[in-house]
Amino acid sequence: MPQLRKDPIVGRWVVVNVENPLHPSDFHLTPFAHKGKDNCPFCYGNEHLTPPEIQVIADCARAPNTSGWKVRVVPNKYPALRIEGNLDKRGEGIYDMSNGIGAHEVIIDTPDHFKGIEELEVEDIKNIVKMYCLRSLDLRKDRRFKYILIFKNVGAEAGASLEHPHSQLIALPMVPKNVKEEIKGAKRYFEFRERCVFCDMIAYEREAGERIVYENELFLGFCPLSSRFSFEVWIIPKEHKGDFATINDLELEKLAISLKEVIRKLKKVLGEHPYNYIIHTSPINTDGYFSYHWHIEIMPKLTRVAGFEWGSGFYIVFTPPELAADYLRKA
Amino acid sequence: MPQLRKDPIIGRWIIIATERAKRPKDFSFVDTSPPEKECPFCRGKEYLTPPAIYSLTDEKGEWQVRVIPSKNPFLEANKDFWKKGEGPYDLMAGIGSHEVVIETPQHIANMADLEAENIQKVFWAYRERIETIRKDEKIKYVLIFKNYKWEAGGGRVKHARSQIIATPVNLKRVKEELEGAKFYYDYHERCIFCDMIQQELNERKRVVLEENGFVALVPFAPRFPFEVWILPKKHSPDFYKISWEDAHSLALVMKKILLKIKNLLKDPPYNYVIHSAPFRRFYPGYWSTIEEDFHWHIEITPRLTQVAGFEWGTGFYICPTLPEEAAKYLRNVEV
Repeated sequence: MPQLRKDPIVGRWVVVNVENPLHPSDFHLTPFAHKGKDNCPFCYGNEHLTPPEIQVIADCARAPNTSGWKVRVVPNKYPALRIEGNLDKRGEGIYDMSNGIGAHEVIIDTPDHFKGIEELEVEDIKNIVKMYCLRSLDLRKDRRFKYILIFKNVGAEAGASLEHPHSQLIALPMVPKNVKEEIKGAKRYFEFRERCVFCDMIAYEREAGERIVYENELFLGFCPLSSRFSFEVWIIPKEHKGDFATINDLELEKLAISLKEVIRKLKKVLGEHPYNYIIHTSPINTDGYFSYHWHIEIMPKLTRVAGFEWGSGFYIVFTPPELAADYLRKA
Repeated sequence: MPQLRKDPIIGRWIIIATERAKRPKDFSFVDTSPPEKECPFCRGKEYLTPPAIYSLTDEKGEWQVRVIPSKNPFLEANKDFWKKGEGPYDLMAGIGSHEVVIETPQHIANMADLEAENIQKVFWAYRERIETIRKDEKIKYVLIFKNYKWEAGGGRVKHARSQIIATPVNLKRVKEELEGAKFYYDYHERCIFCDMIQQELNERKRVVLEENGFVALVPFAPRFPFEVWILPKKHSPDFYKISWEDAHSLALVMKKILLKIKNLLKDPPYNYVIHSAPFRRFYPGYWSTIEEDFHWHIEITPRLTQVAGFEWGTGFYICPTLPEEAAKYLRNVEV
């Protein structure tokens, strides 16, 4: 008998196939078509192929737009949004629109064309995460921006157009819908119970134990009971905190270790596979959200998402999170 | 300059990325589907599927549209119904049903290539199934959708079919539309979809075609390039109350739109989903203005771009084609 499970934050129901679950070997993934590093704009020596850099982390003196960097941030060559101009919001009959003010940056994770997060040193991952924070803190000084979205696409099926490991940052003049819903849901839960829904999830998952993937002093990695995707994993700070960008040095270190471990486990269990991760954090330059709790959602793309999911917001999960967590824990 | 647009119904912002504006020929579709298996849906192969629940015949008395239970149902009927809480989570037994509508006895893959009279029968089969499923008080919603081609979530067999799923819960996307429509109605005392249709018909910028009481348009804030919605011009919340004649008019519009998409975009994968009002049952949260505030419609979404994960994760979409241009291209395709 399939089971329906409700996400406690936004109230989304998912169907979990608990009777005939899919195991890691049941997913038929097309192998990555590796293009190699020829003419890769993100490799050392090709810095001139990208727009001029915005910020870098490097441990030696270097001229701008030359090699020697560890993490490099450049504007997206084909930006979805642009930073110049004044925000111009207007209506058109029943419709609302605005010009596309925003920022769209690419964070080149590493000079190494072939190394994913799971293979990088903790120190390197720390630099990447640190760069996420630095860029967020810099961009939030611009009062026009209300939300900073940081995400990563790995593999063509997950939307990555270049194979060199990179992450993206989009600064938006408004709060995206799903974030708004999460905040609203967390607030509703808080108003009634005077507790954070994420903290309650953490407490419940730790007590239940069966969906835990990884844990250290500061972070928890788990497959939420109401996951939307097979092998979905969340990494969440155990301490209640709404804002990602202001994490301290120790948290940076522990987060880097958690990311490396969880992504290594996923790769070990599933092999090379397309995935995305998204940092869910509080909006900026707007009211404070004390009931929100930042976290990272990692979503392997193992099945073809059908129109059904888009049309209904109703997801079918082929591997129950308990089973997924069991595989990942042992990896 | 890129543009941000807000969907007036559910309030979703999307980005129209004019920097990488794409015309129909810029989309290249790579067929990744695995080899086809023996088709169990053709005439003469009925023994390969479970017995039909419902069927419609042609003038010779042979079946033309056939509804069967799914072999791998997401939800199952006739099981014990339970609900419970677990920590902060809520759980429920997965009751409901999952049926497959075989749209033709011939081995035709795309609904676009069926006769309008055939498509009319497909819509009629949807209607009849919803009428029947509706009698089960535990069912709150019936979702009808199609996955055409492997890349859109379709199966290995290239035979036109769609699916009917009955759920004991209201679906989130539909709920959002219902809430958005109610919010608009509470203030304006008018249906937002009716207002939208009127504005679109006045402006004519995004209308693809208008005939026999139906209008097909590219929404103002689409999630996907060349997304098309088909709406009845006359206000009606429930798809299943469609008349036989209207099902024919709808079939004609559907066929034209699907053919336009097929010809313009080189037979791309697509999905469609019918958004209709949920059954009015007196459960908590029931509201009484649904008759006036909701308007059924079909959303057709060609799958031309690799949707990046962040779109699923954030509900934030980047659409690379200007809706007005998409509508113009679609209008100009002769079918």
